[in-house]
Amino acid sequence: MAVEDVKPTRSELLEIKKKIKLSEDGHKLLKKKRDGLILEFFDILNQAKDVRSELDDAYKDANNKIGIAKSVEGTITVNSTAFSLKDYPKIHLQSNNIMGVVVPKIESSSVRKPINQRGYGILGTSSYIDEATDAYETLVENIIQAAEMETTMKRLLAEIEKTKRRVNALEFKVIPELKEARDFIKLRLDEMEREGTFRLKKIKKS
Amino acid sequence: MHLFSKLRRKSGGENLRTSNYSYVTARVRAMKSKLLPADTYSKLLNMGIDEITRTIEELEYKQDIDVLARQYSGADLIEHALNRNLAVTFTKVLNMAEGEPNYLLSKYLKRYDVWSLKTILRGKHYNASPDKIEENIISAGKYSFDFLSDLANKDSYTDVISALENTEYYSILKQYDGTNLSDIENELEKEYYKDLFISVSKLKSKNSRIFAEFVGAEIDIKNLRTLFRLKMSGIEPEEIRKLMIEGGHRVKMKDIESLLPLSFDEFLSAVDKYSYWYNFSDVVSSEMESLIDLETQLLKQNVKFASSISHVYPLSIVPIMDYILNKKIEVDNLRIIIRGKSAGLDKEVIRKQLVI
Repeated sequence: MAVEDVKPTRSELLEIKKKIKLSEDGHKLLKKKRDGLILEFFDILNQAKDVRSELDDAYKDANNKIGIAKSVEGTITVNSTAFSLKDYPKIHLQSNNIMGVVVPKIESSSVRKPINQRGYGILGTSSYIDEATDAYETLVENIIQAAEMETTMKRLLAEIEKTKRRVNALEFKVIPELKEARDFIKLRLDEMEREGTFRLKKIKKS
Repeated sequence: MHLFSKLRRKSGGENLRTSNYSYVTARVRAMKSKLLPADTYSKLLNMGIDEITRTIEELEYKQDIDVLARQYSGADLIEHALNRNLAVTFTKVLNMAEGEPNYLLSKYLKRYDVWSLKTILRGKHYNASPDKIEENIISAGKYSFDFLSDLANKDSYTDVISALENTEYYSILKQYDGTNLSDIENELEKEYYKDLFISVSKLKSKNSRIFAEFVGAEIDIKNLRTLFRLKMSGIEPEEIRKLMIEGGHRVKMKDIESLLPLSFDEFLSAVDKYSYWYNFSDVVSSEMESLIDLETQLLKQNVKFASSISHVYPLSIVPIMDYILNKKIEVDNLRIIIRGKSAGLDKEVIRKQLVI
């Protein structure tokens, strides 16, 4: 808002004072929200680091186990056994609210199954296949957990960024401009008052 | 794997009173001498993938590699060539044998038919393309590749099952409703061993008794393996009972019945009275998290058993089975090395899986 556009009236001054009050209150609240979100983000960041390192370990383990299964049993056996697994893990998406930010809550089912309910026959398979399947079940669970954590982090980061921009806009643009406008109106009003007084004195003299 | 279909397979329904053990054992002894000596695997372990591939190309597998080279490359080529060679070799041994040895071998090699049928059913269950299913078929049993390929090209599992109406597998396969694949697979395996055992029991010769002992030892190992896997996963005794195969050599059904209700720890204490125990006691403990070492030990035990009795009965089915087993071990070991290397597994991890 350019100062030149401001009407130097008493009502405008009152209006701007109200806006300043509102902006300062909003600024305080947004700062608190930003700080709260940052705290929440760091809390989740620590959990996400653990989840990510578990995911890395699970990936290495799964790669290792499938490597052993493929070498001992052969890719033909691994491929054939994989044909018998048709069910996909079921994923339920819910939402959680962290300080107004909607983050996903992912719940999974039918990822881990008992050895006799996986779809392949026990008698024609071996522990190599069991252990590779186990490792991949763990990996899928870790991926789902990491997806929840990392999406939450991304949404929190976006919200922190947005809040930071708003705080900065209020702090460095909106409030200073309003204050400048207020000071300008005050100055103009004082001047107008002085002009009025001077005019009255002149009229009295004549 | 089309070549197997061109090889003539002698059926097992010949005169069982005849046999040519002296001829077949002499041939397989010569073939066994061509198998790789144990120290070759240590040398291969120190080589890179390209060197291993070149070494394997210089062995018995050259022709198989040449045939499949247009279709596959790298570790896939070696694995398919090894499987092809295995099937060709088994068919060759089967064709050498006449009368009783042919009958026994063809019964034993039906495991590859069961394997292929399971693969086809799994493929249909998954809606895999016929090409993908055909890639995973090993035609080393009674059924030719063409027959199995026809099955793989059927539209649905019901068509596959209808095509098998006149086979011994139909009574089991017709129970498949699209949801109970694992039960059908288990039943097919059990039927294989039951049929093998009944077929062998029909014969009264000394050879059939030795063969029964050999099959019994394999059933023991299969049952022990299943018990360990399911006990460790905490599966109910009733479920485990359904998966036990009758006809074990040293671990009889009444022994299994006594092992079933035990907890994993109690089960471990109970199995130590069996003669197999000393072979795997060092890899078994109540805190064990993996059964991989145990499986390798059990497999080694099976090979050791076959080798030990093959010297006792030189003109019998045992040297033939010993060769079949050792050929399979050679193929497995070569695959373990090449696949292990291409998967970036540690040398020691690969070495532990080898059956030497």
